[in-house]
Amino acid sequence: MNKHKFIQHRRPYWKQFEEFLAGTSGKSLAKLPAEEITKFSQLLREVSHDLATIRSRGWGHDLISYLNDLVARGHNLFYSAPPTNIAGLYRYLAFDFPRLFRANIGYFLTACLLFFLPLAISWCVVQNHPDLANRVIPAEVMASFDQMYGAESQLNTDTEISEDQQDTDSSEESDFGSFGDERATMAGFYINHNVGIALKCFALGILLGIGTVYTLLFNGIFLGAVSGYIVSQGHGDRFLSFVISHGSFELTAIAISGGAGLMLGNALIHPGQRTRFQSLQVRGLEAVQIAGGAAVMLVIAAFIEAFWSPSDIPNLVKYIVGSGLWLIVVLYLGLAGLQSDTRPFSMGNRERNRSPETDLNGSRQP
Amino acid sequence: MPIIWLIGVLSALSVLSAPKIPYIFRHSCFMISSASDDETNSDTAALPLHGHSARREILGLEMQIETPENVVLTYQLAGPAQRYIAYMIDLAIRLAIMFGVMMVLPMLGIVLPGTATGLLLVIMFLNTWGYYTISEGFFKGQSIGKHLCGLRVIRDGGYPITFWPALLRNLVRSADAIVFYGIGITSMLLTRRFQRLGDLVAGTVVIQEQSLSLPRKPVILNKIQPLNKNDIGSFLPRDEVLSLIDEFIGRRHVLTYERGHALAGILARNLAERLNYSGDPKKVTLYPMAFLAAVYKTFSFSQEEEEQELVSTSHPQQQSAGVSLE
Repeated sequence: MNKHKFIQHRRPYWKQFEEFLAGTSGKSLAKLPAEEITKFSQLLREVSHDLATIRSRGWGHDLISYLNDLVARGHNLFYSAPPTNIAGLYRYLAFDFPRLFRANIGYFLTACLLFFLPLAISWCVVQNHPDLANRVIPAEVMASFDQMYGAESQLNTDTEISEDQQDTDSSEESDFGSFGDERATMAGFYINHNVGIALKCFALGILLGIGTVYTLLFNGIFLGAVSGYIVSQGHGDRFLSFVISHGSFELTAIAISGGAGLMLGNALIHPGQRTRFQSLQVRGLEAVQIAGGAAVMLVIAAFIEAFWSPSDIPNLVKYIVGSGLWLIVVLYLGLAGLQSDTRPFSMGNRERNRSPETDLNGSRQP
Repeated sequence: MPIIWLIGVLSALSVLSAPKIPYIFRHSCFMISSASDDETNSDTAALPLHGHSARREILGLEMQIETPENVVLTYQLAGPAQRYIAYMIDLAIRLAIMFGVMMVLPMLGIVLPGTATGLLLVIMFLNTWGYYTISEGFFKGQSIGKHLCGLRVIRDGGYPITFWPALLRNLVRSADAIVFYGIGITSMLLTRRFQRLGDLVAGTVVIQEQSLSLPRKPVILNKIQPLNKNDIGSFLPRDEVLSLIDEFIGRRHVLTYERGHALAGILARNLAERLNYSGDPKKVTLYPMAFLAAVYKTFSFSQEEEEQELVSTSHPQQQSAGVSLE
């Protein structure tokens, strides 16, 4: 068949396909009626065939790139992922994240070693020699810690701290309002600061894990020094009751995201049977899902830290609730998602979600 | 002579009996037969064939993937410069968002100053860590800057990007961003597909999306007269040669006048020789492009007419296809 004849014959179909693409741009294919999808899939295969024909006969670069563009856009639409929804988020938090976490628990334990060991050592050292804290903590930060815990320990006396003045001066209702309001600021701050640190800790793992190890060690030593210093100044009870509740989520999540970062670094250092880039891609996709879970945990921790930990509740209650939270974290990470998926439709969804990944992995392996 | 015959029989037998082994034989046989077919126009045929075989190895801005329909798709990769522009647009938008939020939030701050500050910090966090993830994960791999620059992020298997890879590539952005994106740019220059570290981890590439319109026939053809049938022999140029001419004429404005004519001259001289062109020789040497256009017009349109005649005299379509495929 001659080129011109071919073009004349096929051009209406190409135009039709083009109009279809223009009409559905931005929409999901799943929302279209069935007949249109059937027609679209047929057109996609036909245009793909036309592209192969034209390319094999060498009928001009312009024509090839025109059809290539058409097929590429159709391909992008046709093979787009199923839309994500709330059920997907629930499934991720209830099953996928704890399962992935347990499957890669070795990295988490290594990260714990890198985080909690320096924390414990620097805590012990600084508590016994408080003057050493100067070497780790900047002076102004130290002063603010002094003020924070020192001032709070002298509640109901005449101090210049505005928060305490409000506490003593104002009535019950506005007291609650201003308290919640102040706390909202802190919640925002904790989300911004802590989640940022955790995500950075994960992302820097790409640099052969060095960035992650540095972040873990630095934060471990710093937190240990701060704790040791505050306890040595005699605010131990207040500090521990403040820390215990949100510490459950926060410290664990930092270690988890550090473990995910180590996973990235180790994928480069020990690629196994794959090439380094392939191993990075395969394990990176698991690592980011673990880090995402850590980020969610840190958001929870931020709200606990902002609204529960500083509230005016007897320390005994705080200790009990804090221990309960630690138990919840351990149970969640250890037991969630252990049961098998019994519901058939959720299995189908999972299979469909996973299929591109497994295909890619399969084709990558020789 | 008998030895050659024997080899021929043996190879034919091996083709029949063991279809797996004689791939090389078949290949060589094919080579021989095609060479004898093309003996008359080997010079001209070499041009498109050469381009065809070289397509696999070029180190260029293209990425090829195979779709489930078994068709090879070519994507145009986006280089660092284009992505830099897209990044600057996104940066401007992110700054504008922060600026806008800072303008609006003080109004809420009158009532709840603390909540307003907290909200500001949360938005700041989302703006830093979530802007790209949300835009690329939920809007088919295009942030606003990428959309304006006609770029798109896809998986390196040609699939559209989903949430997790989008999150991964944009978390690792913070590692790429060290020393003013020095690490990212270095990685881009070292990899074949311009991938920064985030792209390498997530298995994504950034491509250019072009929206082309169907190419039209070059205008020049309207003014060109086909060659006189008496001036040329019975030779028929191959389809590839004709479409090469078509493409060359269509893109002639890319080259300077002199260079275009010098290039056209090579093909024009060869074609004139094969065609036994006996018309005005100045037409070939002085106006090679016009000559090529005339050749194109002669053969592509005369074939069409012949086919229409064949079809109209109720011949089956296979025959017309067989004729035109020559």
